[in-house]
Amino acid sequence: MARIGVFVCHCGLNIAGTVNVQQVIEAVRGYPDVVFATDYRYMCSEPGQTLIRQAIAEYALDGLVVAACSPAMHESTFRKAAAAAGLNPYRVEIANIREQVAWPHQSEPEKATEKALDTVVSIVEKVRHDEPLVPLTFPVTRRVLVIGGGVAGLTAALEIANAGYPVLLVERSERLGGHVAQLSHLYPSFDPSDTLLTPLIEAVTSHPLIQVLTDAEVTGWEGQAGNFTVTVRGIPSPVKVGAAILATGFELYAQQRLPEYGGGRYPDVIDSLQFEAMLKAGEIHRPSDGRIPQEVVWVQCAGSRDPVSHCPYCSKICCMYVAKQAALYRRAIPGGQAYVFYIDVRSQGRGYEEFVRQVMEEYEVVYLRGKVSKIIERNGVLEVWGADTLSGQALHLNADLVVLAPAAIPGTGSEVLARLMRVATDESGFFAEVHPKLRPVESFTAGIYLAGAAQFPKDIRESVAQAAGAAAKVLQLFARGEMVAEPTVATVDEELCAGCGRCVEVCPYDARTMHPWRKLATVNAALCQSCGACAVACPNKATTIKNLSPRQIMAMVEALL
Amino acid sequence: MKHDPPLRTLIIGAGIAGMQAALEIANAGYGVVLVERLPSIGGRMAQLSETFPTLDCAQCILTPRTVETGHHPLIELFTYSQVKDIEPFPAGEGTGFRVLIHRHPAYVNWDVCTGCGYCQEKCPVRVDSEFERNLGKRKAIYTLSPQAVPNKPVIDRQHCIFFQRGKCRACERFCPTGAIDYTQEAQSVEIEVHAIILATGYELYDLSHLPEYGGGRMADVIDALAFERLLSASGPTAGKILRPSDGTVPREVVFIQCAGSRDPERHLPYCSKICCMYAAKQAMLYRHRVHDGQAYVFYIDIRAAGKRYDEFTQRAMEEDNVLYLRGKVSRLMRKDGKVYVLGADTLSGRQIEIAADLVVVAPAMLPHPETRRLAGMLGLPTDEHGWLLPLEPHLHPVETIRPGVFLAGTVTGPMDIPETVAHAGGAAAKVLSMFLHRTGALAGGAG
Repeated sequence: MARIGVFVCHCGLNIAGTVNVQQVIEAVRGYPDVVFATDYRYMCSEPGQTLIRQAIAEYALDGLVVAACSPAMHESTFRKAAAAAGLNPYRVEIANIREQVAWPHQSEPEKATEKALDTVVSIVEKVRHDEPLVPLTFPVTRRVLVIGGGVAGLTAALEIANAGYPVLLVERSERLGGHVAQLSHLYPSFDPSDTLLTPLIEAVTSHPLIQVLTDAEVTGWEGQAGNFTVTVRGIPSPVKVGAAILATGFELYAQQRLPEYGGGRYPDVIDSLQFEAMLKAGEIHRPSDGRIPQEVVWVQCAGSRDPVSHCPYCSKICCMYVAKQAALYRRAIPGGQAYVFYIDVRSQGRGYEEFVRQVMEEYEVVYLRGKVSKIIERNGVLEVWGADTLSGQALHLNADLVVLAPAAIPGTGSEVLARLMRVATDESGFFAEVHPKLRPVESFTAGIYLAGAAQFPKDIRESVAQAAGAAAKVLQLFARGEMVAEPTVATVDEELCAGCGRCVEVCPYDARTMHPWRKLATVNAALCQSCGACAVACPNKATTIKNLSPRQIMAMVEALL
Repeated sequence: MKHDPPLRTLIIGAGIAGMQAALEIANAGYGVVLVERLPSIGGRMAQLSETFPTLDCAQCILTPRTVETGHHPLIELFTYSQVKDIEPFPAGEGTGFRVLIHRHPAYVNWDVCTGCGYCQEKCPVRVDSEFERNLGKRKAIYTLSPQAVPNKPVIDRQHCIFFQRGKCRACERFCPTGAIDYTQEAQSVEIEVHAIILATGYELYDLSHLPEYGGGRMADVIDALAFERLLSASGPTAGKILRPSDGTVPREVVFIQCAGSRDPERHLPYCSKICCMYAAKQAMLYRHRVHDGQAYVFYIDIRAAGKRYDEFTQRAMEEDNVLYLRGKVSRLMRKDGKVYVLGADTLSGRQIEIAADLVVVAPAMLPHPETRRLAGMLGLPTDEHGWLLPLEPHLHPVETIRPGVFLAGTVTGPMDIPETVAHAGGAAAKVLSMFLHRTGALAGGAG
């Protein structure tokens, strides 16, 4: 006989606004083995958790069902609370009555209440047969792989090496510095970008704990958090690392994909990095005839904020660098005229708003609110057609040079890396963070962290802060020296296993192998992600997932029917 | 060296930045002393309803952090406390600081208190709650919210009948554990730490500075944090949108952005960075609660730069029919129970007048006064508005001119939550890097 407690969370109004919590409590109180049931406004809060801890002691509970939000949100919270009260955390399960009940059935409160009760009792059935388990621990290899030698990767590498851990820094191109090395000056200070980058590169290349590999590429990746093995083109043997930081940066959306602006077709329509190169060389001239351009138009959001034809998102960095470029142009060619087409001026950051104002007022750059519809070249002059949405008039300017601020897209090769390292990406191809608010530097794959524009376009300041944030995660892991993993992995009943090897074939994580000499399948618990593919494929039901046995599943299904 | 490990860090401010840095450092095995001025941790985020762009409820994602922080064996919490003095170790003794912490008297013995809440129920005094931005009441003995960590009350002397007139003692009489202690005195605690992180956050420009928007005295004109409390399920209206003046459901709500921001002539020159996104969220949540209501947003530029941010504001406009008007509101007028909003639509070039039931103002962000005080104490440079300046803005965004002193979150200027979390992680990295270097990284974590 189990002694199970049921705790139903209101989640403010998220659950209680739809589900009749009292009714669920009343009904579940009569269910076999449920010896206690109660509710609270926010079960995850301190008083809510105290309620749970006290009930465990008072009613000698040996299993808990917390009916609340998705287990992705708070399973660990409640398991920790239970463990603090002396209950094995793997005897605690979540009944998801928010995402799976209250939210989708808001218009049908009665049926939602019924479904909530069914959900709760099916989880009671699961808990009844849950085994008490102990988390698995593995030693960690204290070396990190940093992919990408731009400002984010350099910062992360230096941070970790300064703490005393070895770093392997892999860069695709022949040089370090990423896009910052292509820039002429920084905003809002107008300092040359080399003043920033040169000492940083110097610190990295001279650091005894950082091994820099340029013109190199990650070609092989296996293992699990704490113990990965990486193969890099350019070095002879694989290297063991405990964690990785992805700092693969961004690229500009190809001009050829912007035919409406004559991108790739007209020589005097260039992108912003080409203009940086001119500024850096100190020679601003038209590619077509070498003349000094007297009228220059900057086109912002070229491919950004355009869900219909191009990228739906804002590329974040363009507003500021365009203001900087226009100002530098005006400095270089005082008689020249600069125009900037924009939708919204996004100058958010310390000193940024003031900087754009300065560019408009002191550098007399003309800002035009509107989108450029097309650019046509006629007799060596670029006709820029657009609308000024403030005056409501169609607008047409003649320019000598047009600078596009193309959308920032994921860095070259990031797609291949995502597949190779099994790291999730978002709908735009940037690496996905676990939670947009509170876990912005962690990828969905344990032991792999994100830095800089690989996660989404960011300027230097923000990339550096995030890279340091990613470094903190690695330092934390290395300082602890061990990796803790869930014990709810696949297991083999040796009595039943016939050694057919089907589990090995179906495992997507290479976690299943045959025993070296016995006719038996084995599990590498560190690699197993508990997906259950082997359990389904096993003809003898010799393989099961711990705490998700066929017996549990059948009991849960019966409770639901 | 005189000061052997264990190395520990003082973190001042227990909002999302301070908590993030604390957990990052403590989970690596080093001790943290976390000092918070208010009776409980969580900071501004604890006041928020739901967060952009996912609409996760703030409470749901924050509570695990506050509880983890509150229970962490390596984090020592000093809530209702302030740092009064910081003295660096003498030269030759390594990086470190002697810190004097002053703990305000709660008049409740927290070691005995169980957080049952009887005292708050029985206290006869009702005063405006700062946490509820004066839209709700609290008692003279109170916790900031029902989810407070630690869940222990304090007595506000100014409003307590016993302290003012020597009578009442209701809390003492009803406390089942005898935790009330009217004789409790402020405590001073001196500690030694080896790194300091400043995470004292921000405050909003007070509406009294904005006479054009009623100066804080016009009924049904509230600031954005007050609106968060109206939206919050645990707020004063349990999540119902009701106007403060008469408790009716507002049918027309106007959101005014850049109130005090981007206005170098009269107010503050800088952009406060977070308002565009939260205003879109607030307008959206209002439309979700009041289906036949109309929401208007006055803006100069829509600054939705971040992952899924632009898409989010698009959704507010297209799916939730929030009406965006490009222009600045020139003034507000109270007439016949309505707030008349007079402004310009710079896109159509016309004057606009909206008879609103409720106006929500997004005021500029300012550094918290605590930040100025601590900057003075540590001799840290600030800009002319009081934001703390990092050592160098690009490559050293969390370091200061003082070795061992780091910055986290909005002490350096306006930032949203993800940026704050990454920034605070960066500050933690600096501390960990310093400590690990000192103890010998491969020897393992904490000494």
